Amino acid sequence: MTALLVLMFVLVAGTGAGVVLAREPRRQALAIAVNGVALSLLFVVLRAPDVAYSEIAVGTALVPLMFLAVLVSLRTDRPKS
Amino acid sequence: MTRKARLLVAVLCALVSAPAIAVVIMHIPAFGRHPLPYGDAINHTAGAQRHVTNMVSAVNFDYRAFDTLGEELMLVAAVTGTLVLLRGRRGESLSDRAAQAGNRPVCERSEAVTLACRFFLPLITTFGIYVILHAQLTPGGGFQGGAIVASGTLLLYLGESYRLWRRLVRSRLLDMLEAAGALVLVLCGLGPMARGGAFLQNVLQLGQTGALLSGGLILVENAGVALAVTAGFILLLLEFLEETRATCEGEGP
Repeated sequence: MTALLVLMFVLVAGTGAGVVLAREPRRQALAIAVNGVALSLLFVVLRAPDVAYSEIAVGTALVPLMFLAVLVSLRTDRPKS
Repeated sequence: MTRKARLLVAVLCALVSAPAIAVVIMHIPAFGRHPLPYGDAINHTAGAQRHVTNMVSAVNFDYRAFDTLGEELMLVAAVTGTLVLLRGRRGESLSDRAAQAGNRPVCERSEAVTLACRFFLPLITTFGIYVILHAQLTPGGGFQGGAIVASGTLLLYLGESYRLWRRLVRSRLLDMLEAAGALVLVLCGLGPMARGGAFLQNVLQLGQTGALLSGGLILVENAGVALAVTAGFILLLLEFLEETRATCEGEGP
């Protein structure tokens, strides 16, 4: 396993933790996009460019966008009690 | 359930499943090893048998094309379901702008954003078409390229206006393209049978390895998938964005 691979795994784990740790839904949607970029880089390093294409188009662009679109129509900021 | 009780349940579950997880981890093949012979066999024979250089496409659109047909019909069914659910409520009227969050003011888009979008939209679209057309030669194919082209159209909304994006995205045309994509795949299956071959058998001329027109039926099936995926994804985006838009004056909910 090369140093580049280790770096990629750390990057994926870090951005993945970022998705969980971001508690605000809108930020979470963007964190998913960042995680998608990290994942597609990992797939490139693992020599699976087909999967990297899908990940970057679906995981980085479409899924966060749909989350954002839905979040806009939902009232997520509840009144503080 | 209180926090303490939840924690207790979590610890119990972890304790119960830990041995099973440990056993599975012990038996995972070493990193980078693939014990099954299928991939090696394909890499060895597909180039000579199907005149392609991208083995993934050879598997997707030829050796296991039946699976792709199933996936394609699943995608069409999923998109259709979403449309049936969402479009019934919104009707077919055009709206000028997408929804906005809460009471946020609508900002003018800066010239830099417009410039960046005008610069990148042709590049991304061209790249998507390239990925679609070179399915049998380089990594990628109808699904990946279709997703790239579909999400690229959003740059119109980002850089120009929602109204323009909405005007250019014709749902009726996309409905037909989506169905046409699925139809192409089904015809690819039935066509060879009419000539006495097997379902989805690659009966076309294979062409020269490395040429744009090579791989026979792989090309046609790839085009079908590209059509269905591009149209399907744009339709999904359209329905989701329309679902969240602000209602125009004098229009029902």
